[in-house]
Amino acid sequence: MTGGRLHPFTLLAIAGALPALAWILPAPRGGAATAAVALVLTLTPGASPGLTGTGVSPGWRPGLVVLRTAVLTAAPFWLFLLLLHDVPTTIAIGLRITTMVASFVWLVAALQPARLVEAMVAAGWSASVAYLLAATLSAVPVLKARARRIVDAQRCRGLSPRGGIAARLRALRALALPLVLSALHEVDERALALETRGLVPGIRRTPLAPPPDPAVEQAARWALLLACLFALFRRFL
Amino acid sequence: MRSLTLEGASFWYPATESPALREVSLEVAQGEVVALVGALGAGASTLLLVAADLAPRVTGGRLTGSVARRDRSGIVLPTPWTQASGMAFTVWDEVAFGPANLGWPTHEIARQVDRALEQLELVPLALRDPASLSGGELQRVIIASILAMDPGLVLFDEPAAELDAEAARALWRLIRLQAKEGKAVLLATSALDALPDVADRVVWLEDGAVRAVGTPELLADVAACDAGLGTSVASVWRASGLPGPYPLTVAHALQRWR
Repeated sequence: MTGGRLHPFTLLAIAGALPALAWILPAPRGGAATAAVALVLTLTPGASPGLTGTGVSPGWRPGLVVLRTAVLTAAPFWLFLLLLHDVPTTIAIGLRITTMVASFVWLVAALQPARLVEAMVAAGWSASVAYLLAATLSAVPVLKARARRIVDAQRCRGLSPRGGIAARLRALRALALPLVLSALHEVDERALALETRGLVPGIRRTPLAPPPDPAVEQAARWALLLACLFALFRRFL
Repeated sequence: MRSLTLEGASFWYPATESPALREVSLEVAQGEVVALVGALGAGASTLLLVAADLAPRVTGGRLTGSVARRDRSGIVLPTPWTQASGMAFTVWDEVAFGPANLGWPTHEIARQVDRALEQLELVPLALRDPASLSGGELQRVIIASILAMDPGLVLFDEPAAELDAEAARALWRLIRLQAKEGKAVLLATSALDALPDVADRVVWLEDGAVRAVGTPELLADVAACDAGLGTSVASVWRASGLPGPYPLTVAHALQRWR
């Protein structure tokens, strides 16, 4: 499966269905199955930007980067769950949360915002709503790249993000403030720029290159929906 | 024919007591290039936002006086990174983002985009990823993006800030061409040396108010030079202690010298 080539709606359907199934199916087997699928998805080609961060990489290594991101993001949840619950409950909830985290991380890596906008506009959605959704998904890599630039700048000034806890905390403080302030500042300018480029409520945008939506993918999306409904029905009735 | 008319326009940003613009009256006609000059904080960028109908509609704040726009406007802001849509795989797609939002038919979008790319000499970069461009290249892409929307009133805020000397010269030629095609151009810039060849009129802003309006000769005015708003030639002439009126350009200086 190549995440980057699937229709954006299919990617969204998969990323939505997996967490839904994780919570609907009986624990821990249901959560284990969905978590395994979600984690395997993070290894699929196209799930990660290339080394330059600008293209879609068919390589294996970037996939590992996405897997690592998913695992590292999910790990703190396991820790907190273990502090609050017994082991069986921790495993049950932890697997579900891992499914949610891995699905989202995979979606962010695999879904190209421009394709999502084109697909939504072609499907008759408002362009501003489509942009809002796509911009939310693209915010993570944008902030990551900005954080990397700020860390590089701090390094040039002699502040290393490595070392003991005290040094790391100092580096974190030096990173957080400019990251938040620059992001807030950019929001204003971006709003002005988008307005002047015609992205205003109520527009009817012309789709330039809507991604193809093969019948098999449409069928797969319906199948995912039916699978969720069926699992829900079996669980509670 | 007037494209933009401001009459006694004052503007306050949100949560500020003193206005960023004070009783500004200004007209920009079709086919005319008007340059806004002034020190930092003089109000040139704010005036452009008001002219573009972005202030107070998007920025918030309060506007008094009247602003009449006859044409659709497009504004080029000074930082290209925040103006990229972030939704384009290629430079062509980036330039097409605005025209597509206008709902134009595909063939018209393609025509305007190709034309804008040619005008900005961006055809060789058409298939490049916008994220891989330099600041100057991206600024040219943003300018092309605005021109591709075919606005009747084009507003530039420090458009040459990211450009090298050659690209800046090409931009000034393009601005004159836009005026020749009948567009109204309002330009805020600190590149004062370019204005004698680019601007039809110069508006000197000071503390949010219009201090003087005139031809580019204004930039050789003694008071303008005292305020740091003279061209390089006028400033050098002044610094060397030669008497006024100061020459505006090298050609003027040669005439005076002989």
